[in-house]
Amino acid sequence: MKRVENMTQLFDKLNDLKSVFSYGQKIIPIIQSLIDFMKETVPLLETINKSIAESTSKIPRAQDQINNITNATEMATTEILDIVDIISDDIQKVENTVKAIDEKEKNRAGIRIKLRTYLQGNTEALALLDEYEKGDFISETINDLLESFQKIKNDAYNITLSLQVQDVTAQQLAAVNHLIDSVQGKLASLINDLTDGESQKDIEKVITPAIGTFDPNANYETSGQRQIETDSIIQESKSKQSQDDIDKLFA
Amino acid sequence: MKKVILVADDSPTIRKFVSFALTMKGYEIITASDGMEALEKIPNEKLDLIITDLNMPNIDGFELIKTIRENELYKEIPIIILSSLGSSEEIEKGMAYGANSYLVKPFDPKRILYEVAKYLN
Repeated sequence: MKRVENMTQLFDKLNDLKSVFSYGQKIIPIIQSLIDFMKETVPLLETINKSIAESTSKIPRAQDQINNITNATEMATTEILDIVDIISDDIQKVENTVKAIDEKEKNRAGIRIKLRTYLQGNTEALALLDEYEKGDFISETINDLLESFQKIKNDAYNITLSLQVQDVTAQQLAAVNHLIDSVQGKLASLINDLTDGESQKDIEKVITPAIGTFDPNANYETSGQRQIETDSIIQESKSKQSQDDIDKLFA
Repeated sequence: MKKVILVADDSPTIRKFVSFALTMKGYEIITASDGMEALEKIPNEKLDLIITDLNMPNIDGFELIKTIRENELYKEIPIIILSSLGSSEEIEKGMAYGANSYLVKPFDPKRILYEVAKYLN
């Protein structure tokens, strides 16, 4: 009886073994395709790794380009401002000269009025004086010139406002450089993990401005709205402070 | 005698803009590219006013204002902040540190002249 039980158990075990083998037969192709997939993936991963390393090594060049743009626009803006400065100086000099001419003309006009009284009765001389004054357009011309000078000065002034766009873009580019810098850091550490630090030593580092030396949210807004908001914040803060002082006084 | 104004800003173009606007009105301008340079220049000049940015390397604008306000010799010099930072926290902080006015960039040259004249004329 015992022997029959043992045989039954043996057959059960053999059946289990058979199931394992039949399951194994099913799983072998899957394992095979997994191995094939791994074989194909390894070179792909190496390519990705190489590509990341290459991209990372190109990042400093991109940062350099951005710095070059900032430097070039800065230089151009400074040059434009220098020229505007010279134009404004020249306009001021010409304006002063024209004002001096105007002053002299006013004196001459005074003299002519006196002359006219002295020449009363001398019709020939008065006719000559009338003829002379016909061509007197200096006063009007001077006023036109002074108006034009004022307009040129205002325009020069407005150029300075528009050129501030350079400062805003410089701050935005500094922020972009900072973002690139952090991406480079992440990629470099990824490469470091993949290559045991072999590739990282080749990656050049570009000096980027420290956080806090630029405003990533700088924007070119010339409507004056931001200044109005700033003034109102200061005003509110001042009135709150005064109220606090009053409260303290009566506490 | 010309009134002397120190302009501290790390942006060369902003230094140029401010100098341009103020020299046209007869002010003498001294510039500094950060807070540290500003602090080095302050004892050498008889300053009538300071215009400072907030975001600067080495010593920023807040620190510069604080240092000036803590110094017996220079604490009365009017200070105008000229910054692209414009949140209420930054404005209130700047004023609490002792600035007299706060202007945001991009600035209107007429407004800066008005603010300067307010303290100097």
